[in-house]
Amino acid sequence: MIQLKGITKTYYRGKVETPVLLGIDLHVREGEFLAIMGPSGSGKSTLLHILGLLDRPTGGSYRLDGIEVSSLSDDELARLRNDKLGFVFQAFHLLPKSTALDNVLLPFTYAGHFPADAQEQARRALGRVGLEHRLHHRPGEMSGGECQRVAIARALVNDPEVIFADEPTGNLDQRSSLEIISILQGLHAEGRTIVLVTHDTAVGCMCRRLLRVVYGKVVSDEPVADPTVALQQLQTLKEAAK
Amino acid sequence: MSLAWRLLKTAVISLWAFRSYAALMMIGLIIGIASLTVIHQIGQGAQQAVSARMTSMGFGADAFYISSGGGRLGVRRGMKRAVTLTPADADAISRLDGVTHVVPHKNVARTQVSAGGNNTNTRVRGATPGWAAARNWAVLMGRFVTRTDIGQSARVAVLGTTVVRELFGEADPMGKRIRIGRTPFIVIGVLESKGSSGWRDRDDLILVPLSTATKRLSRDDKISGMRVTMTDASRVGEIKAEVTNVLRENHSLGPGVPDDFLIITPDELMKLLTRQSRSLVAMLTFVSAVSLFVSGVVIMNIMLVAVSERAYEIGVRRAVGARRRDILYQILMESLMVAAAGGVCGLFLGLLLSYLATWLLAIPTAFSPTGFLWALGFSAGVGLLFGVAPAKKAAGLNPVEALR
Repeated sequence: MIQLKGITKTYYRGKVETPVLLGIDLHVREGEFLAIMGPSGSGKSTLLHILGLLDRPTGGSYRLDGIEVSSLSDDELARLRNDKLGFVFQAFHLLPKSTALDNVLLPFTYAGHFPADAQEQARRALGRVGLEHRLHHRPGEMSGGECQRVAIARALVNDPEVIFADEPTGNLDQRSSLEIISILQGLHAEGRTIVLVTHDTAVGCMCRRLLRVVYGKVVSDEPVADPTVALQQLQTLKEAAK
Repeated sequence: MSLAWRLLKTAVISLWAFRSYAALMMIGLIIGIASLTVIHQIGQGAQQAVSARMTSMGFGADAFYISSGGGRLGVRRGMKRAVTLTPADADAISRLDGVTHVVPHKNVARTQVSAGGNNTNTRVRGATPGWAAARNWAVLMGRFVTRTDIGQSARVAVLGTTVVRELFGEADPMGKRIRIGRTPFIVIGVLESKGSSGWRDRDDLILVPLSTATKRLSRDDKISGMRVTMTDASRVGEIKAEVTNVLRENHSLGPGVPDDFLIITPDELMKLLTRQSRSLVAMLTFVSAVSLFVSGVVIMNIMLVAVSERAYEIGVRRAVGARRRDILYQILMESLMVAAAGGVCGLFLGLLLSYLATWLLAIPTAFSPTGFLWALGFSAGVGLLFGVAPAKKAAGLNPVEALR
């Protein structure tokens, strides 16, 4: 599904060169649940942006679904993002004046054609994250956890091949974080490929594969032996609260 | 729900979200378009007023006017114009093929007029029986000047209503004696009131037979001007040329000597009368075009700020698959909608203001289709033109940086 070879990224600010990625090799198979971890400044977010076709690498090769993407035009990348990728951001990045339903419909606006059952698909996606009762609420009228669930529904609605999540629990309390991770674990159980960036070891341990990045290099890449089940933790938390 | 509908909805939602910005953007445009509309309404009103006045003067397309003294229409020809036309000229012109009527008149200098103990100072004009018909001017009481009056150079006078009021108040003037200068006259009729045109009271006037004016009230037998009516309007040019020949010959003007008379055709008069209002409209249009340009710059600046504030929204759209041009069209669509809304508001404000101008200030206005089109065209143009820079800025944003 995802094949990176020798990916480098250098930022240029005037004459100052800042190398961020120093040659990343990575292979992500369909159905994997990968966490990219590292301290801040390690280049993990840059790596996610490159994986998500939001940014271009300075060097190296990136094949997505067999397509070499480094030579594609801006418009072609936009089309691929729309077709094959879904994004969940730390700050949710919902349109504040649009309802949950309209936010989830957003990818269809740029899909080239607007499916006749778009509304139905959007409702289903919101149902999948447990928000069927929040269709017409605006982000300001929902909790952070609910906003992030809307964002997941938006990432899901066009049935992407990979979901990228950039610190999805970074702005959430513990309980909402567990809810979000348990939704992601559920999606993984359904066979979806998920790539997540986090600096939170607890979150990393809920994924199936853990990639550690330090100073632009992969320092370790291993499966998570016994992934924590977020739903169980959530129940423990609820019981403790009683 | 179609894609176009969604794009429109997107624009409306964004504009509503940024409504305080949208209002700021529209203010300049509303003022500019409103003033443009008012200017064109007033211009159109002036045009119609001129047409109406020319009609009331009996100046149809099948007539022209010959004035004594040379020069050019619209250029001030000196306070003392040479009076060069004669009754013989009028006779010669009336014999030309295609000429149906010649109505000469003579202006006598403003004269002191008295009746009983009252006196006033008024314009005295010598006229022929055709004069009233040629000017669409009816007699309210009594009768007009007749051929007999002309033959006898009779001392009879037809008064304008202002003169009647000054000399007789509410009393009946018919058959009464008045003095024009030192010469006694009998009042034989009263003209209907025409009201004032601009600063001039058109009813402040006395008409006497043309021959009386030339023989008894002034020392020469010249006439001031004449109206020439033709069988049909298409021959105006041809007859104008013939009249020129006849008059130059009668006045013995050699080659190279300029005309000592002036032929004014309805077209030329119309042009002269509307020239001022036209140049005023053109100048004010320019001024409001400048204000529209300024409002365009304001729109552009506000949108540039708004684009910076909306960077993350644009980043989100790009992340979910919007191409650069999708963002470009979205921002252009928004600026176009703001401009169109501002244009429509400005148009209605302008219509309201010109209605008020007519109602409160008695300035004639009329609906101007060109003003309407200018307003819509201008606002759409401003929206598109000044939306380009913000739209390009938005489309050029790097999604990663926009999302940061």
